[in-house]
Amino acid sequence: MGEVELSCVAYVKMYLHASLFPHCSVNGLLLSSSPAGADVCITDCVPLLHSHLPLAPITQLALTQVDVWCAQTDQRIVGYYQANASVLDCSPTPSALKIADRISDQCSQAVLLMMDNTKMSVECRVPPIVMYERRDSRWTLKDKQMIMLRQWEETRSIASQLLDSRDRTLLVDFDTHLDDITKDWTNQKLNAKIAELASTANGRL
Amino acid sequence: MSSLSAEMRDKLRKWREENYRNSEQIVDVGEELINEHASKLGDDIWIIYEQVMIAALDCSRDDLALSCLQELKRQFPDSHRVKRLVGMRLEALERYEDANKLYDSILQDDPTNTAARKRKIAILKAQGKSTEAIRELNEYLEQFVGDLEAWHELSELYINEHDYAKAAFCLEELMMTNPHNHLYCEQYAEVKYTQGGLENLELSRKYFAQALKLNNRNMRALFGLYMSASHIAASPKVSAKVKKDNVKYAAWAATQINRAYQVRERAVGTKSPLI
Repeated sequence: MGEVELSCVAYVKMYLHASLFPHCSVNGLLLSSSPAGADVCITDCVPLLHSHLPLAPITQLALTQVDVWCAQTDQRIVGYYQANASVLDCSPTPSALKIADRISDQCSQAVLLMMDNTKMSVECRVPPIVMYERRDSRWTLKDKQMIMLRQWEETRSIASQLLDSRDRTLLVDFDTHLDDITKDWTNQKLNAKIAELASTANGRL
Repeated sequence: MSSLSAEMRDKLRKWREENYRNSEQIVDVGEELINEHASKLGDDIWIIYEQVMIAALDCSRDDLALSCLQELKRQFPDSHRVKRLVGMRLEALERYEDANKLYDSILQDDPTNTAARKRKIAILKAQGKSTEAIRELNEYLEQFVGDLEAWHELSELYINEHDYAKAAFCLEELMMTNPHNHLYCEQYAEVKYTQGGLENLELSRKYFAQALKLNNRNMRALFGLYMSASHIAASPKVSAKVKKDNVKYAAWAATQINRAYQVRERAVGTKSPLI
């Protein structure tokens, strides 16, 4: 299994998603705009739900819609993330494994990413994530050394800056979109905001 | 009373009555209202203290929670309702044993105190003890069969345990007592869809349709109708008539969806991905 790289914009949105719905389990899809290869480069993510994660209809709908959008924008679904409501438990739920299985049917390098709630403080020295990969039809913990997050300090600072500002409410997940379809689940505005903060931070990302 | 404080008061009342969990907003508005306009609130101030205190716990604002609690304790020294708030603060501090002792003392005094019983179940949930929480909640509902909030909580617990049949049962109870609530119909339909199989799909389609009848803007119900009807139409086990009918339902739903997104496009000015 190759390396997995997680981009700033993907991490920040996942972090905001989990932080904006602290009493809910949240999930989403991980996307890549890079061609398939030995390494996986997660360049973006789509936050999906913050309620009724195990129920099928909206999940199926979201997967279909994201698939269509990916085809239009030259991206692929390469993984799935989830942050559990419970602070103590960051293990993948059966429905998480099911969705991850489905993704890995289409993408052999698929990753399953769980957020570690206990480590989600402002000063966390390492990204609060636990990554799994599929080996012999089972999801097993990925070797930590193989997960890269470029410029963690900057990413972490952008995430907490956004969380503290009004701009955090820019985050739209699929659930929010269904409540009000004028809201954009591709989060173009938020992506632009993150890019703006990232370029002020250090010019390259 | 100045219109600003009246406006804030109305906001808080709306959030209270509709059970919103927008705790940060409640803290923002409530704290200002209490600090700047307390004299204009009259007796409302006590219920506002309670609302703001709970929201403060949700935002880790123990300072604010404590000050609200102290005002309430001073005004209502022997109240079980205030005692429950003391318990909630202990829960927020993860002092579950102390909280449980407090709730037990309320229940000793008043065995019918539903609030204390529900807090004990909430503690089980917080500790990850879903099986016990479910068992206690079932026992609670045997006694307090009309508690809608409890039925809904139980349906959520069952969904998280992937026990869809029991979740459906809870939602059936809710639909029976609230036949006009489109959200219960739609959630029931989602559970049925998740259970799968032709019979459940047909039920799910019917209840998505019912949710739409009750609220024709429910997008989840509209998409759900489209998806369930499409799946039924595609099934090799259905008769030609059933297939034809479901193709029609799916087509209708698709038109409505497209229409909704076209309106959206005009409103927002950008195209969105369509199925």
